[in-house]
Amino acid sequence: MAKDSTKKDTKKRKARTEEEEVVEDAREDTNFPHDVGLELHSEDEGAEADEDSEGEVDEFPEIDTRSDSEDDEDEDYEGSEENDEDEEDSEEDDDEFHIFPKAKTIISDITGQPKKVYPDIEPDYDSDSSTEDVQNRVGNVPMHWYDDLPHVGYDINGKKVLRPARGDELDKFLETVDDPSAWTSAFDKTMQSDKPLTAEELDLIRRLQQHENPDSAYDPYEPTIEWFTSKGKEEVMPLSAAAEPKRRWVPSKWEKQKVMKIVRAIRQGRIVPNKPKTSSDKPTFYAIWNEEPSTHPAPLPAPKPRLPTNAESYNPPEEYLPTEEERKKWEETEKEDRERDFLPQKYSALRLVPAYDQFIQQRFQRQLDLYLAPRIQRAKLQIDPNSLIPKLPSPNSLKPFPIYKSLSITHEKGRVRSLSVSSDGAWAVSGDESGVVSLWEVIVGKEVKRWKFEGKIGSIEWCPRTDVSFFVVGIEEKLHFLIPPYTPPTVLNATLTLLAPATLPPAPANPSPVKWNSPAASSFAVEKPILTVTLPSTSGLPKQISWHRRGDYLATVSSGEGQGGVWIHQISRRHSQAPFKKIKGSVQLVLFHPSKPNFFVATQRYVRVYNLAEQKLLKTLQPGIKWISSMDVHPLGDHLIVGGYDRKLCWFDLELSDKPYKILRYHSRAIRSVHFHPTYPLFASSSDDGSIQIFHARVYNDLMTDPLIVPLKILRGHQVKEGLGVLQIKWVPRQPWLASAGADGKVGVWCS
Amino acid sequence: MSSSTTERTHPVLFTTQTTSQLPSSKFMIPVSWKRYQLSQLINKALGLGGEVGAGYVPFDFLIRGEILRSGVSLDEWCKEKAVPEEETLEIEYFESVMPPQKMSSLPHEDWVSDVECQLPGYFLTSSYDGRIRLFNYSQNLLHTIHSHEAPATCLTLIPSTTSTSTSHIIASGSLDSSTRITKISKGEEENWNTEHLASLPLHTAPISSISSNPTGTLLLTSSWDGLVGVWDTKIPSSDEVPATSVTEGRKKRRRVQEDGEEGSGEGKRKAPVNVLKSHQGRVSKAIFASGEGEGRRAYSVGFDSSIRVWDVEIGVCVDTITASNKPFLSLSQQSSSTILASSTDRTVSLYDIRLSSSSSSLSNSPIQTFLHPNTPSCITTPSTSSNQFISGSYDGIVRLWDLRSQKSALTSFKAWSGGEGSQGAATSVPKKVLSVDWNNGEGLVGIGGEGGFEVWKVSSSTNPGSK
Repeated sequence: MAKDSTKKDTKKRKARTEEEEVVEDAREDTNFPHDVGLELHSEDEGAEADEDSEGEVDEFPEIDTRSDSEDDEDEDYEGSEENDEDEEDSEEDDDEFHIFPKAKTIISDITGQPKKVYPDIEPDYDSDSSTEDVQNRVGNVPMHWYDDLPHVGYDINGKKVLRPARGDELDKFLETVDDPSAWTSAFDKTMQSDKPLTAEELDLIRRLQQHENPDSAYDPYEPTIEWFTSKGKEEVMPLSAAAEPKRRWVPSKWEKQKVMKIVRAIRQGRIVPNKPKTSSDKPTFYAIWNEEPSTHPAPLPAPKPRLPTNAESYNPPEEYLPTEEERKKWEETEKEDRERDFLPQKYSALRLVPAYDQFIQQRFQRQLDLYLAPRIQRAKLQIDPNSLIPKLPSPNSLKPFPIYKSLSITHEKGRVRSLSVSSDGAWAVSGDESGVVSLWEVIVGKEVKRWKFEGKIGSIEWCPRTDVSFFVVGIEEKLHFLIPPYTPPTVLNATLTLLAPATLPPAPANPSPVKWNSPAASSFAVEKPILTVTLPSTSGLPKQISWHRRGDYLATVSSGEGQGGVWIHQISRRHSQAPFKKIKGSVQLVLFHPSKPNFFVATQRYVRVYNLAEQKLLKTLQPGIKWISSMDVHPLGDHLIVGGYDRKLCWFDLELSDKPYKILRYHSRAIRSVHFHPTYPLFASSSDDGSIQIFHARVYNDLMTDPLIVPLKILRGHQVKEGLGVLQIKWVPRQPWLASAGADGKVGVWCS
Repeated sequence: MSSSTTERTHPVLFTTQTTSQLPSSKFMIPVSWKRYQLSQLINKALGLGGEVGAGYVPFDFLIRGEILRSGVSLDEWCKEKAVPEEETLEIEYFESVMPPQKMSSLPHEDWVSDVECQLPGYFLTSSYDGRIRLFNYSQNLLHTIHSHEAPATCLTLIPSTTSTSTSHIIASGSLDSSTRITKISKGEEENWNTEHLASLPLHTAPISSISSNPTGTLLLTSSWDGLVGVWDTKIPSSDEVPATSVTEGRKKRRRVQEDGEEGSGEGKRKAPVNVLKSHQGRVSKAIFASGEGEGRRAYSVGFDSSIRVWDVEIGVCVDTITASNKPFLSLSQQSSSTILASSTDRTVSLYDIRLSSSSSSLSNSPIQTFLHPNTPSCITTPSTSSNQFISGSYDGIVRLWDLRSQKSALTSFKAWSGGEGSQGAATSVPKKVLSVDWNNGEGLVGIGGEGGFEVWKVSSSTNPGSK
């Protein structure tokens, strides 16, 4: 029977759910749940539940009464619909002053079901309280600002809203007498006038005064709903009939074991209930502000990302867009070398901008930045390569220096290995490998005298003295002293007395193997050498003759092997001596220091500086050249240039170091000759590549200032013959001119 | 002449310094015209004869200091110089120099160091073999003077009122620093007699130049020792300078030179009137001034890059032009106010030798500079005042310049090229020109140098009307 009633109940409720929607507003209990889902009982359990539920149902008999009445009401609901409608109407009348619009329930034409319809909201100023017809538009300003004015504000059109006429207290009193509803009006501040309150407002005031709920729709006397016990809503609980397990009442042995373990520990004192209080337990305080501030550097702040500039814009100005060359250059440079990691691009609209392909990469880099991750960064050299080139003065400002070949004379046979210019700069002698020595005018190039010797001419050097005029020609094992023709008589006399004195100086104590022969001065002839010095045999060709600046001593270097290579000859004493008993390596060149008694000896790799007066080695210069070919000392004596067959030219500052101050590698072939100009700040080097290079070399008296070396000019004009180019160069004293002798048999004069 | 109406024209104003003036009105010249058409126009306008033939005078045209090269049209010239079409060009016309013609070539055994063409009918050359040779116009070697044992470097003819057509006085200098005055006189049957009149012992270095004043009363010698000697040409009856130690050297020299030359007597040893000492280096050339200050002033150039103006009578340096790094080689007076000097920096520079009003010293910068491809060793100017001069250079080319045309020479010719010079061409080494002399009256230019001596005919620049 209970089962039946339940079924009937659910059935009824289903039917009612729709109806309840219709009558929702009309009834007090409008918020009755539409769907409680209790009909999901399983049928088999339902039978069991019946027995249990019977008693419970009995316990709540009162609730059923309402349910029953409800049922009754439901049953004749169809018929009483009209009444409901009436009730609704009456209710609407009662609730006249409802704030919210009331919904009407009508039968839908389409579905045939009742539905609620709300009144339309007219979209005018009245539809919203905020847009109520407020005449005064001054806003929320203190109204006493208008106290002295005839108006109280302005309306929406800017017209003045005039102050309404207000009576005095007597008028007010009379009003309350005349108008029974006067007391229900309130003072409207904005309009500065009394305004009658509406019924709703009055009702609200009344409720507040009576401490009622101000909501008029609130019903404090709603009927209680037995949610879980009322008819049809009973909770049917399934219960098992199984016997209760033993563990429900037998105490747990395992628990006892655990407890006993703890008890034993307590007894044995392993667990102390309260830790003994010690002094260390007292709270300790730290004066954190007393500490010295940390000397550690503050942690590095995370680097800030660079702010985007115009170039990063998706639509940058035209001038930021890269040109075609810039784009090409950007694409060609390495990623690390790029100044920017993007190319500005122009899009007409933001929506056309494609996804940024560098996004992940950039975020990753930023994360690494924030993490202060060390990364290998190639140090970028933001240096203009041109700025590394030393600022050298323009060659035009360093004039004069030789720039063109003024004239050339030709030796028909053989290479011209040796060349010398007289100290007055007027005459030059050149000697070739066929044994011909030519004397010629420097400025005209006219050969005025020719001598012929047997064998190669190894070297030629004018005596630097100005009061005498002669030059020395070195051929195989002999040095010939020659006097040029057309010398003035006084000079000729002085030369003759120097080279062929009437009374020979006393022979030195220890005779040297070098023989000095001179014919009598009376039998002097230009064609014959006035003096011949015979070097010891097997000494070979004197390949270099080097005069001391004073012109009394001259040193010769012979090509022959053995220790007999270097000789120093003294003209006035007609004596020769070998300065070195033994010398390491083969001597290439020797030079006298222009002012000090120093002697430069160039072996194959090193230049040694000896002091001849004290007879000791001063220093050894290491040019780093594999084979020294040429050497010259600056007229001031503090600087030395050394040329090598391995194309290097080293400039030594003798005060500075044993290592070269500067190494010039400008020649493409072996350097053959170097020479300092005696007066002009110039030096030149010649090479087997057929070129002569002119350098400006200014040496300052100030020791702190480095010498200034400026390459000035490359003179080309000599032909390379059998791998040999310009073999000897000599400056013309007093003029910035250069004489050069080449393997092509030509001797040239280069003028400024 | 194109007569097409569409041809563009250029406004041109013709000027000239010759007597044949054109009316100074603007001409509209077709731009395609070249020198030839312009020359025809001038001829027609002057009524000299339109076509090439009798009376036709070729003209050259100078636009803005530059010669209008033949074969270059006006249009091309304007484009080259970026001259706008509307701009009026001022064209100066002058009689063109006819291409020089080689008259004769007189080979020498040795280089010719100096030539002298001022003696009508004869040429004088000094050579590096120490001899002075006399040629006549029919290329015959008339006489050889064994003047010096050493190479003769310079010679000059001393014009003398006493010298007749049969006797002339020559002064010459040598590398051995000896200077001589020699008289040659024509005897019977083309036999010329030599008489060494005097020697001028002063210098101790090779003589670089010797020159006389127009009247022939004074001589200037310059030497490598930096001295300039002033001498008169009177031949003293006895040695003015005793043969001291110098003589001793001379004796030795004589021994050196051994027998050698025919001893024709040393002549009298003259003493210098004045010695001009101021140059710091070699003096290359010293000349007397012509025109203003004649007889008193002299100019000299040297390797110390200075041009010095001397007062010969008191022997002091009146003024100095100090150029920078221009060792001068030669000097020539262009006009009474300007001198030309050639230097080893391949320029011939024109200097003003008048004192400027603002400063008391001469301007150190040249008025004009004429660039050469190689060292200009010698320059010569015509005896009559003119705008032209001739320079000889180490590249064997002799150039005729006009002062107004600074950029390019009027004409140039290569000495010792064709003919027997073919072997010179084979060596491809140009033969140096060492000396040029221009006899303006005869229109002859003598060129001495490495290849010997050559005579070229250069048509006179002066207008027949201006003579």
